[in-house]
Amino acid sequence: MKISWPHMGSLEFVMGSVFEEMGVDYVLPPPNSQRTLELGARHGPEFACFPLKTTLGNFIEAIEKGADTLIMVAGRGPCRFGYYAETQRRILEEAGYDFRMVPLEFEPAKIPATLRRLHDLKQGRSWLSLYRAIKFALNKAYLIDRLERQALHQRYLDREKGATTAALKRCYALVWDAGSYAALDGIEEEAFAIMHSVPRVEREEVKIGIVGEFYLVLEPFFNLNVEEQLGNLGAYVERNIYLTDWLRPSGERPVLGHREHASELLAMAYLTHKVGGEGIFSVGDTVLFHNQGFDGVVQLMPFTCMPETIAKSILPLVSRDLGIPVLSVVIDEMTGRAGVATRLEAFTDLARFRRRAHGREADLTLQPAF
Amino acid sequence: MKVGIPGGLLYYRYGRLWNSFLRALGAEVVESGQTTRSILTSGVSKAENESCLAVKVFYGHVLALQDKVDALFVPRLVSVKKRTHTCPKMLGLPDMARAATGDGSTIISPTIDFQSGLWHNYKAVYSLGRIFTSNPLRIIGAGIKAWREHRLYLERLTLGLDHKSALEGEAGSLLCEGRELRIGVIGHHYNVYDTFTTMSLLERLGGMGVDAVTADMVPEKLRDEELKRLPKDIYWSYEQEVAGAILACSRHRLVDGIIFMISFPCGPDSIIRVLCEQENKAIGNVPMLTLVMDEHTGEGGFLTRIEAFVDMLRRRKVRNEEPREAIAV
Repeated sequence: MKISWPHMGSLEFVMGSVFEEMGVDYVLPPPNSQRTLELGARHGPEFACFPLKTTLGNFIEAIEKGADTLIMVAGRGPCRFGYYAETQRRILEEAGYDFRMVPLEFEPAKIPATLRRLHDLKQGRSWLSLYRAIKFALNKAYLIDRLERQALHQRYLDREKGATTAALKRCYALVWDAGSYAALDGIEEEAFAIMHSVPRVEREEVKIGIVGEFYLVLEPFFNLNVEEQLGNLGAYVERNIYLTDWLRPSGERPVLGHREHASELLAMAYLTHKVGGEGIFSVGDTVLFHNQGFDGVVQLMPFTCMPETIAKSILPLVSRDLGIPVLSVVIDEMTGRAGVATRLEAFTDLARFRRRAHGREADLTLQPAF
Repeated sequence: MKVGIPGGLLYYRYGRLWNSFLRALGAEVVESGQTTRSILTSGVSKAENESCLAVKVFYGHVLALQDKVDALFVPRLVSVKKRTHTCPKMLGLPDMARAATGDGSTIISPTIDFQSGLWHNYKAVYSLGRIFTSNPLRIIGAGIKAWREHRLYLERLTLGLDHKSALEGEAGSLLCEGRELRIGVIGHHYNVYDTFTTMSLLERLGGMGVDAVTADMVPEKLRDEELKRLPKDIYWSYEQEVAGAILACSRHRLVDGIIFMISFPCGPDSIIRVLCEQENKAIGNVPMLTLVMDEHTGEGGFLTRIEAFVDMLRRRKVRNEEPREAIAV
């Protein structure tokens, strides 16, 4: 049994670490590429959302590399994501691939079935070793998230463009090579030392928040490196979703130190009901970013994403009320790199002029990480 | 108080219920009526590009009404059945309507959610009634009256009356009269019954001498049976109806062909489409045509496809009825 799963930002480090620790065979799908997208778009349904196509592409490439067991999370939210596993299984089977799809569902009624599936996946290893592997992997993930956040906060100060990104890559490698749970503390120190040692210059800052659909926010290849682009344009960036927010069992999402509930309360003035996915948080976190003195918000959404479409139709109202500029970037397989770059550039300029005009000084001290 | 009911989306299902309830409470009800070219155009100009056609049409109806009324009636239907949801767009609809009017109109939006129990819904309906009257008996009376009319309306749809006469409670033409060819026209209520966006498809089929079967006319028992066969249950209430109806039509040969109506880019339908096309192919009884409508759909292309489909079904039927040797020639 060779296990594989779709890419999503740094998810590969987490899942890879779990299986590595357990000594279970796994296949890392080839990194996201234009080919992934083409494969996904060729087989996927015409106007299904973008992540369905990209993860379908990952699955196909993983099967080509020898994987036979595919893991996907499923559910029953109003969002389409809960039906991905089933749809992708149907599509891949019709296309003639040989594999087994293992949907993991975490709603209370499906827990027994999920435990049975996990039992199959761990292939005779003990539950204790699974627990240990997950704990280790989660701690790696927390560390990676803290490092990514650090990178977002300092990228605009780079003396040479790309230095922070290079440092972050070195940190990823460090974390990936961590031998044991005990070693993580030392690695954390070392990694942050690397990040802090990137040469900096003084620069006028402009603060931009990123909100949106979690897959696109987390997946740098498909969101066209929006974070990096914004950072290189001179923006201090913060995003509302990190990988562990989604992996963490409690489901608590601290945005700038605020909990999920705070964001929902703030959204209530505009969107009075949960709409599935991150719809309500995109609205709430925009208000939150405004309250924290940010100069602009970029909303990332895949084409036809239902919750984000709702958020997108409501955000102009938020923007009008609060006076914070909001740029919605809709991404699908046809999105051009240059078009997005131009819009981000114009948006950053707009936010910078707005900041100068307002003469507002919000402190830029780093937020406590988690 | 003048209350406006926008004639889009769920109006095609609960319009009768809302109208009679509000009227019985003493409100003056204004409906935006049938979709027109100008309603669609104003909706398209205001709505998000990524919204589905039905939502764009709904925006148009909201905009057409907003200056004529004191309040707009846009209920939020979270769930109409246990363990299911409606589409996310229905969940955010009142807020989207508010954004469409630019915060300019009062919006009355009771929240109906069968996941939190019946009592919650009664409370929501009662507090809706309190806006218009302080007499509890009147609210209850209005509720019962409206529910009765709603049941009647649904029954008329089940019998195959066309939507307009079912809504107005008149005797009208039947969609299914026992003609030689029968086609299932299946999709969301607002995709099938809206005469403007579908270019009067049901009427035209009648004109071609074809019977139409809608999802309402497929017995609920057959639909539920089909849903139970699926490896993962569908968690959208209205998609359950659509998928159930398509698969039931296909398995029991209730029709000679199926037209699946989808508005671009409907989220749940894009997923259900894969499921229906595959299952239908596996059953192998009935051909299926998937029609995707958007605001750019041209009448010519639309009709050509329907005509071709009908012709194909006719030939297929004739061929199947003739003895085998005849085909070999």
